[in-house]
Parts: sequence; C-alpha cells; structure tokens
Amino acid sequence: MGRIGRLRPDQVGADVKTLFEAFLEERGNIPNMFRTVAHRPEILTTMLAHFRAVMGPGTVPVPFKEMLAVRVSRLNDCDY
Amino acid sequence: MAKQFGVSDEAIAGLKDPTSHPFPPDQKAALLLADAMTDGRGQVPDDLFTELRRHFSEPQIVEIAAVIGLFNYFNRFNNALHVDITLTDPDVLVRRAALAVKTAGPVDSLCDRVAEILHQERRYFWVGIYQRQEDRLVRHAYRGPAPSCHAIGLGEGNVGIAGQSGITKMIDDVSTDPTYKVCFAATRSELVVPIRGGGAIVGVIDVESDRPAAFDEEERRLVERVAALLASRLA
Repeated sequence: MGRIGRLRPDQVGADVKTLFEAFLEERGNIPNMFRTVAHRPEILTTMLAHFRAVMGPGTVPVPFKEMLAVRVSRLNDCDY
Repeated sequence: MAKQFGVSDEAIAGLKDPTSHPFPPDQKAALLLADAMTDGRGQVPDDLFTELRRHFSEPQIVEIAAVIGLFNYFNRFNNALHVDITLTDPDVLVRRAALAVKTAGPVDSLCDRVAEILHQERRYFWVGIYQRQEDRLVRHAYRGPAPSCHAIGLGEGNVGIAGQSGITKMIDDVSTDPTYKVCFAATRSELVVPIRGGGAIVGVIDVESDRPAAFDEEERRLVERVAALLASRLA
C-alpha cells in the first residue's frame, strides 16, 4: 500500500478527471503514480505533458526510448 | 509496456545485463549512458560522450538524456512514496469476473477461473475460494503456493470466522492477529471476505499478501464485488 493515498476519479477536480478518463479510455487503468501526483493537479498536468513530449514520437524511435526506460527502472529496482 | 511498443523479448531480457546481449553500437552507447546517469552520482565519462556523438545528433542526445532523467525522476518518486505497480482497474477486473460467472461451467471451474483472475491481475500472493458445506468451508480453488489443508471448520481461523460472522476482515499484520491461522510463513497481511447468497453465508474468499498492510479499502471493495458475483453460483 502506498505511503500517500491514491485519488480516485470521484475525488479529483474536473481537469484531472478528464485526464483520468483519457487514461481509462486509452489503457484500461489509471497509473497509481498519476493517481498519487493528482494531490497536486498542476504538477500532474505538466508531468503528463512532459511525459508525452519526452516519450512520444521525436528524434529517436519510441521503442528505443521504452527500452531505456526499462533499463533505468531495472537499475532503480522499480517495477515497470 | 516496452513489449507493446515493439521491443523484442530477447532485447527486454538482455536489459537485465546489457553487456550480455548483442545490442547494436548506438543502442549500447545509449544504454551505457542510462547506467552512468542512474548509478551513483550520475557522472558520464568523456569517452562515453564521444561514443554517443558518433551515433547521435545533439537533439537526439538531448532526447535520450531526457528519457533517462525522466525515468530516474519517476522511479525515485515511486520508490520513495511506495507507489505500487499499477494493476488492472477494479471495474475491468469485475467485468472479467462477471463474464466468468456467465461462461464458466461447474462451480469448481468457475472458482478456479475467478481465483486465477484475482491472483494474476492483482498480484496477490495467495487466493483461495471456499464454499460452505454444513459446518465446514471447503476450498474449491486456489492460486499461489499449495496449501496444507483443504477444508476449514466454521469459526476456525479468519476464514472460518468470516464464514460464520459474515464480516469482512482486513489484517495489516498477521503476526499480531490472534485468530490468524498460519498456512504460509511468507504471508504478512490478509483480507477475508464472506460470500453472501440467498440470505446466508455461502462461502469465503481469502486473499493473502507477502507484504504487510497490502490491502486497503479499494481492495476490500473489489473483493467484495467479486464475492457478490459468486454468490448466486455458490448458494
């Protein structure tokens, strides 16, 4: 169980709720990390925008970036 | 997730130890950057940077370093705050269990399927589904390590007590719980949910975790919803 409560869609404001609904639509769940960060909506909103800018299509292939993310998460003993 | 983005199984396996897998030189240089930026104080030697420049443009190096930096941020945030890995959404899981109730044949295979869904999709250490038969609770299915007992008397241990009282019990630390019946040394916390059908208690779902305080209100609601789905078939 997390040290900080995970917010559910019925516990967040309209802006965050829209973000949560988009996750549910896209992948069938809302990542716990984002449910945790939702305690600070401004941080969540810009985090998601930044996440998409970094991990979306850019100058190196997306699968290659995913591979780097897996390697970093392994080194940090973090499930990903 | 990397897999769904088209990374091969071999490459994912190779990520445990990048030196053991024949990654192309550009990928190898970027993986070494990931290691350098993640280990210790994140110092990157000049010769590694020269190697990166051989394969990548400046915008590409910026993008690669941003990916590595971002995941260090995310990982350390998650590790520090104990953010659990994201599991199947409870509503999605309940829909899968409801489908099993409609499609699975005999009670045994239904319980087996539901135990499988709970164990797999919520990563519980152990799941057992019991049906009440007179003064005993008989286990129809389990997932996780093989248990030593097959049936539990009513009132015996937390499963037997739930089968009698009809009250859900959530135990953060089984070592301090007076009625916990030790089945697995690895179990640290437990959630016991009665199954009610036709005005009676018809069974029990027992869920155990190898982490302390693994269960919260969300897990409790989820397992209670699954119990409600099983009720009509166990009654």
